[in-house]
Amino acid sequence: MKVEAKTCHEQTHRPLFTWTRMWAVLVLAGLLGGLSLSGSSSAGELMAPPRVHTPPGAADSADEPLGPFPGVVAPEGTYEGKNVEQPIEFPHDLHADTNKINCLYCHTYARRSAVAGIPPTSKCMGCHNVIATDRPRIKKLTEYWEKGESPPWKKVHDLPDYVRFTHERHLKKFLFDNPDMSVERVDEVCALCHGNVKKMTVARKQKPLTMGFCTRCHEANDGPFDCQKCHK
Amino acid sequence: MSKIEFDRRDFLKVMGVSGVAATVAGCDMPSYITSEEGAEEVIPYLSPEEFVIPGVGVHYASTCLQCPATCGIRGRVREGRVLKLEGNPKSALNTGKLCQMGQAGLQTHYNPDRLTKPLVRKDGALAEATWEDALALIEEKTGPSSGLSGGRFAWLTGTISGHQSVLLKAHLESLGSSSHFVHEVINTRVWQAVCQDMLGQSMPRLRIDKAKMVLSFGADFLGTWMSPIHFSADYARFRSGEDRGMLVQAEPSMSLTGANADLWVALRPGTEGVMALGLANVLINKERMDASALPAAALELINQYGVSRTTKMTGIAGDRLIRIARHLKERSPSLVLAGASAAGHVGGYQSVQAAMLLNILLGNIDQTIEASGDFALPQLASVSGGTSDLSRFADAAGAGKLDAVFFDGSNPLFAAPNHLGLTEKFDSIPFKVAFSQFMDETTAHADVVLPMASALEDWGTHVAAYQGGDHEIAFQQPLMEPIYPGTRSFGDMLLALNSMRNPGSYDGLEDYYGYLQSAVGSIPGVLKGEDDEAINVSAWNRILQDGRLQMPVDTRAFTSNLSMDDMDVRDADPAFPYYLVPTPRGTLYDGRHANIPWLQESPDQISKVVWNSWAEIHPVTAAKLAVEEGDVITVTTPDGVLEVPVYIHKGIHVDVVAVPMGQGHEDYGRYARGRGVNPLKILQPGSDAKTGELALYGSRAALAATGRAGRLIKMGNTETQHGRKIVATITAEQQRRNEGDS
Repeated sequence: MKVEAKTCHEQTHRPLFTWTRMWAVLVLAGLLGGLSLSGSSSAGELMAPPRVHTPPGAADSADEPLGPFPGVVAPEGTYEGKNVEQPIEFPHDLHADTNKINCLYCHTYARRSAVAGIPPTSKCMGCHNVIATDRPRIKKLTEYWEKGESPPWKKVHDLPDYVRFTHERHLKKFLFDNPDMSVERVDEVCALCHGNVKKMTVARKQKPLTMGFCTRCHEANDGPFDCQKCHK
Repeated sequence: MSKIEFDRRDFLKVMGVSGVAATVAGCDMPSYITSEEGAEEVIPYLSPEEFVIPGVGVHYASTCLQCPATCGIRGRVREGRVLKLEGNPKSALNTGKLCQMGQAGLQTHYNPDRLTKPLVRKDGALAEATWEDALALIEEKTGPSSGLSGGRFAWLTGTISGHQSVLLKAHLESLGSSSHFVHEVINTRVWQAVCQDMLGQSMPRLRIDKAKMVLSFGADFLGTWMSPIHFSADYARFRSGEDRGMLVQAEPSMSLTGANADLWVALRPGTEGVMALGLANVLINKERMDASALPAAALELINQYGVSRTTKMTGIAGDRLIRIARHLKERSPSLVLAGASAAGHVGGYQSVQAAMLLNILLGNIDQTIEASGDFALPQLASVSGGTSDLSRFADAAGAGKLDAVFFDGSNPLFAAPNHLGLTEKFDSIPFKVAFSQFMDETTAHADVVLPMASALEDWGTHVAAYQGGDHEIAFQQPLMEPIYPGTRSFGDMLLALNSMRNPGSYDGLEDYYGYLQSAVGSIPGVLKGEDDEAINVSAWNRILQDGRLQMPVDTRAFTSNLSMDDMDVRDADPAFPYYLVPTPRGTLYDGRHANIPWLQESPDQISKVVWNSWAEIHPVTAAKLAVEEGDVITVTTPDGVLEVPVYIHKGIHVDVVAVPMGQGHEDYGRYARGRGVNPLKILQPGSDAKTGELALYGSRAALAATGRAGRLIKMGNTETQHGRKIVATITAEQQRRNEGDS
């Protein structure tokens, strides 16, 4: 038998020998597979499905994926992220949808750096010196600003430290090097991994951002497949 | 149910399938530990500079203070944190290169054992105090109303230069004192004294790159001697030219430079000068070299050291001596260096002098030893340290001549041999103030401990004792905000101390940064402002970006004064048949880096041992003692005993036991404390008559097996290739035949 593990999502299951042997193979495979995942948890926990990993198509209606734009095959997989309590309940929908502010206006570092960056508080205050200054959330923001502090935002999208993901490279491929796209449609690119943030208030994790999610997209869109591209 | 037949082939298939299953399941398994939503905070900048992009590093130039060489560094700073240090390509000294000690500067800075609050001794123990209380106590004891003046006050520092040195001198002057003890275990003071006396310049330029042959008497110029990174670059050129340079290293125990040599010679400690004179003898009498440059007295001395006498004293075979001399004559210009193992004896000065005499005989002066000239601003020049200041300090403290001592950048209680009795003498000083980043052996005995900012958080200027091609002032600037708000800048403290003595003297200046800017502005032509501008801001910014300010070099020709004294070689004491050599290493250095895990775990250059001390002995000695690697032996001198595991190695003289410096701390944080032994402690009394430098390499020891077996923790387990020819080798004899060498 030839077992090839070219990509992670490729699963090769074919009946191979006698049933007896197959039984032994599967039991051992299960055990060894479970054990190889982690040394600290019990096998029973590990064999349970991932916590809130829902199959494609089961996303709630508010988070409908944006239509696939030219030059990309959208990665499959959704995730039902929990609501994260932020110091200020920032309304993404009001900024990006109602007022049509481009994602890159605030997350300006995404095109230049590995991280998209939370906008500096001075950027918030640039507008909110004069706009909506009577609203409770803006009052709270102004309090932080006057104390000379930035709100301690909670991280919603995070990757383990052994993964190097760069926003810059992904925006270059899907947006700036894509002749069929314009910077006005950057929200569709963001949505590939962040879901439809335009329809959310506080950002919620909508995509699993697991290695499987990454590799499916890399395969579909001819992304690099060398281990050290991401695990530097 | 039939019996399950399960052979090796099936097992491998199972492993294959299970591997795939595991990876497939793993790929979609979110990591609950690191990527849970809301688990971490992400705090944006309040109002960032335009060039700051999160996730993208910005590089700032500064100066490395991990050893006295003061190489230029560049730190990569991201999100307000310094993450990586590399050499500054604009620095003429190290041209973009940096050693492992410099790289590990990050772990000095981020060290968990940093002092964060001032400590004041109350009822015999150090207790946390406020800065106000600590400074009030200092004012009470050393301020104008204390009545303290003159030589009863002293500073004890490591090598110091630049504007810190100016302010420190000003503080001493304000107290009417001139007692500034500058202590450095690994130093080149004897070399500097010889150069000063014989050539009229203490730090001539050494052109290893121009030499065709280098003969080094224990000068570990690739590891710890003078300016190793600068010399490493020179050495690379020396080796890579069309005519590959030849390196001969003669020393008692193999150093990093020795390991790189074409010929390594095991030399009886203290006979470096004898070997140099023996070589001169061969060159004059056998090779008929012109000796008219040498005075009659020197020639007379050289004539006393014929081949047979030299061989007897040094232990080097006569034909080897003749061969080295012949190479020296053929490969001109050459360069003869003398390092710590030559200088660290009662007759150290004479040994180094003999090496310099050899340079003169070989015509190397103005060829590979170039005149350098003095630094244009002498008040900023480096005040190089040595061990003579340690014994002078011990004498002053012991005689009750000191009422108050401030110390910074030096750990005398760790480095002082037992015979100086420094701990008791130190404790007898009524008032001792430590400016320190760490609790070390000396700091623990202080009455007031002031926590200092790290080198990567502070401002400063530095002038290297050994300057490369250009003369330059190296600028140290903070690479990030202080980690601990309770620490203060050393420069700020010097300003505060000066203001304490002379109120109002620095009133117009906000802090040390302001002082530096105005002081650099006062150097003619450097920061000349246009129109009414006080300083030229863009010129100042350019200096900070470059990390250096080039100074004009006024090269001064050598003067020559060729006096020569006879060698002072002491006979062996039969009760202590071995020589104890405390070897310096480019990792823990003199012990200051023992609290850096990166350097503790980097394998030693020769023995590959990590995190521990060892005694290096020759296989012949090991056979005599009947010990194997890792067995514990005692190294006994009249001044103490060390118990240490052995490392058996041929790169050492048969009569030598070498124990590396750096370990054996009683205090100095969690990584250093209680690890290994400190060979400096058991050294015997004795110092070089001319310079007063301690004879660190002149101690005698007795060795004995304890019968306890142990195991050295080291990288790699074997010294041989077991016939695998990973690196092809031939015997020296074969090589000589192939090359047709005489």
